[in-house]
Amino acid sequence: MSKTIAVIEDEPFIIEALQFLLEREGFVVMTHSDGAGAVEFIKSVNPDMVILDNMLPTISGMQILETVRASNTIATLPILMLTAKGQKKDRSAAEQAGASLFMTKPFANADLVANVRRMVGL
Amino acid sequence: MPRTHLGTRIRSLRRSMGLSQKNLATTCGISPPYLNLIEHNRRGISGRTLIALAGALKVDPADLSEGMETALVDRVKKAALSAENLRVETDQTEEFTARFPGYARLIARLQDKADAQEHDFAALTDQMQNDPYFSEAIHMMLSSITTIRSTAEILSDPRGMDAGQSRKFTDNMRSEALRLSQTATDVLAHYEPSSGAATSTDISAFEALLEQHDHFLSDLEQSSVNVLQAIDAQLQMQPLSETDRAQMHASLQSYAQMAQSLPINLFLPAAKAAGFNPLRLAAEFQTNLEAIFFRLAHLPPAPDQPRFALLQVDGAGAVMYRKQLPSFALPRFGGACPLWPIYRSLAHPLRPLAAMLDMPFGERVFALSSAYPTEQASIPMPAPSESVMLATPDYALLDPALTATAPSLAVGLQCTICPRAECSARRSDYLLQS
Repeated sequence: MSKTIAVIEDEPFIIEALQFLLEREGFVVMTHSDGAGAVEFIKSVNPDMVILDNMLPTISGMQILETVRASNTIATLPILMLTAKGQKKDRSAAEQAGASLFMTKPFANADLVANVRRMVGL
Repeated sequence: MPRTHLGTRIRSLRRSMGLSQKNLATTCGISPPYLNLIEHNRRGISGRTLIALAGALKVDPADLSEGMETALVDRVKKAALSAENLRVETDQTEEFTARFPGYARLIARLQDKADAQEHDFAALTDQMQNDPYFSEAIHMMLSSITTIRSTAEILSDPRGMDAGQSRKFTDNMRSEALRLSQTATDVLAHYEPSSGAATSTDISAFEALLEQHDHFLSDLEQSSVNVLQAIDAQLQMQPLSETDRAQMHASLQSYAQMAQSLPINLFLPAAKAAGFNPLRLAAEFQTNLEAIFFRLAHLPPAPDQPRFALLQVDGAGAVMYRKQLPSFALPRFGGACPLWPIYRSLAHPLRPLAAMLDMPFGERVFALSSAYPTEQASIPMPAPSESVMLATPDYALLDPALTATAPSLAVGLQCTICPRAECSARRSDYLLQS
């Protein structure tokens, strides 16, 4: 059965690239492009993992991460933070908030795919 | 009168005349060990000894005591200490400065420029880290680069894709490349200086202008001339950027305002009669102390009146204005010695503080400071304050009532050039410490 990846990202061309890459690998990709409603989206999709941008409209990726980790139902969901804010302090803050993995933009497609496969146990 | 480096000059003059310490000491009626202490700046000199030494060395006593600029020595020392790997002979800085004053001034000037550039660099770094426009621009550029890189990798993948997908990704990449170039162009435009005119980075343009005119702008002192015309004339002579020109205009207007409200032809005789006592002058001219401080710091130079240094800082201790003296340096960036009354005044607005500053190498400077609120206080927040300090090494020329009760404070200029090891206010090491 195909693994489902939830992508929360506000840049449409990055969404298209991620969707193409992951679907080509056989994943089901569900996307959402706003911080608002992101937690509800994750709950409704019930994915195997989440790729989460940090700088989103309305609510930041960090806030979404904290909300997920504090929830009863999706607290252990693997989350890959994918962000242009790649300074040490950003990485440290994401890790403290419970990110499973931290990747900075721009990324190599092969690295992203390899990390996703590993995080969903493939 | 600064005497710290007087000994160095005496030693230099003695050697240039081929005299031994013993010969010179005998001629002047003092013991050779005492002369040795004087030459190593470990003893002050009484008037009689100074005159005897000057006579033996065939120089005027005033020339002997006034030739050295202690602040210059400090600046040269600072330059030497900043070159860590060069093993500069810092123990001979005073002698070097005495023998080669032109080169010493050149070194000090270059050090000042280096300090200013270091400060500008730190300010720019700070701006880049905290500038929301820069942060947003970088984020946009990284997003575009991410799309371009990822899409390029997809398009070059040997597994291929159908023509429709390929065309879509090519369009995406073109759009992002355009967005990236536009963002980069916008960033460049945002940070481009408003004018290509030259700017002075080592000292402010106004400070440089005042230094050129001995801190007395006679054109702006004449009550009969059109002040605005005089200001414009001053500005036309300055090759300035738009920002610097606006700042210079404001500074010149402030000067003109001071000259109009405290006219020099009325103020100078009153100041002499009052023993240059700012408190008496403030009462006589019915104005605030700060105005009197600024006026006293901008008098036409004359040998029979005290030379005044002036420092003005904001509530954070940042220097807003300074007038230095050759024997009393003032910082341009960062704080000076936190024990100076100018910083203590910030906690006691509208209450003048007087003190005799004992500098580490023997100079004494009388200082009077006063802080004042810059806006109305409101509950529960007190008003922010600025503080200004007037200082002079020529305290003997002041009204004795002003200096009689001033407490002595053992202070420095800045920690890095202050040897007071046991100072509770120390916040960085003394660089000369071996």
